[in-house]
Amino acid sequence: MKRILIVDDAKVVRMVIKQILTRNGFQVAGEATNGKEALEKYKELKPDAVTMDIVMPEVDGIQGLKDILAFDKNAKVIMISAIDQRDALQEALLSGASDFLVKPFEDDRMVSALNSIFNKK
Amino acid sequence: MVISPERLRMLEVIMKLSIDNASRALSKTLRTGAKITLSKIYMADFNEATEKMNNDTREMTGIIVNFKGNLGCKMLFMLPLEGSTILTDYYLRQPVGTTKEFDDDTKSVAQELGNILASHISNSLVSDFNAKLLPEPPQVHNDFAGIIFSSLVMEQGILCDQLLLIETIFEICRTEISCYLFLLPELASLEKLLDAMGTRK
Repeated sequence: MKRILIVDDAKVVRMVIKQILTRNGFQVAGEATNGKEALEKYKELKPDAVTMDIVMPEVDGIQGLKDILAFDKNAKVIMISAIDQRDALQEALLSGASDFLVKPFEDDRMVSALNSIFNKK
Repeated sequence: MVISPERLRMLEVIMKLSIDNASRALSKTLRTGAKITLSKIYMADFNEATEKMNNDTREMTGIIVNFKGNLGCKMLFMLPLEGSTILTDYYLRQPVGTTKEFDDDTKSVAQELGNILASHISNSLVSDFNAKLLPEPPQVHNDFAGIIFSSLVMEQGILCDQLLLIETIFEICRTEISCYLFLLPELASLEKLLDAMGTRK
């Protein structure tokens, strides 16, 4: 079972993502509330993938993505944000994000994004 | 600063489009009909606006979002406490009435809905104005309307005695919640963007 680290500063968003993941055969490896905590949890828990919010206090999701990829260049990180702007999308993808989901999204979209990154070799 | 009628009309149309966008995102998030409509856009005297809000004596949940980028802007989404418990139930897909009081979940839902509203408003403004505008993490406050409003406008009030206020009405399916959504663009940067769009002063 693939283990996912959920990163979002809003508790209810982490709850909703956790429900989607567990209902669809994934295991929640852990949770973090900003980019700094995400890197610490990534090192400690070694998840198979990360769902990463962008707008967060202290260290945002783009920096969190860069830090995780600097630690593990093969890390799989899916960005999740309500920001649907070309610059943000471009920065995330150029920084190495595996996918980008715009909130609000359907549960299936997250499941297919995860399945897709695990099926890529 | 005086904004010409032509510029106000243009702002009104652009703001309507961005608020429609935010409204659709909110409906999808809550999985129920949520509608935000622009009620009026106007230049307001700082003191008059504050006094008006002081007359609303309800205890409110206020979500303040600052935007960074080349269009300085702030947003305040303010709803009565009982409204925030209803939105919590919708967000968590539980029967309305389940949440009885303001707690960590209610605060977190307010934070997330503020984030979704601010992001979708900025998405529209970025494409319509060719601006750079990104929301920062929302701050959630519980207090009386006037106090929350004052904390929003304080910085602008120090810089000038007038504010561009964009007022909206918020309705949620089957439950009417009387709320405020204020957007306060920073006037100097707004003027530069309107100049770039070729509107008459």
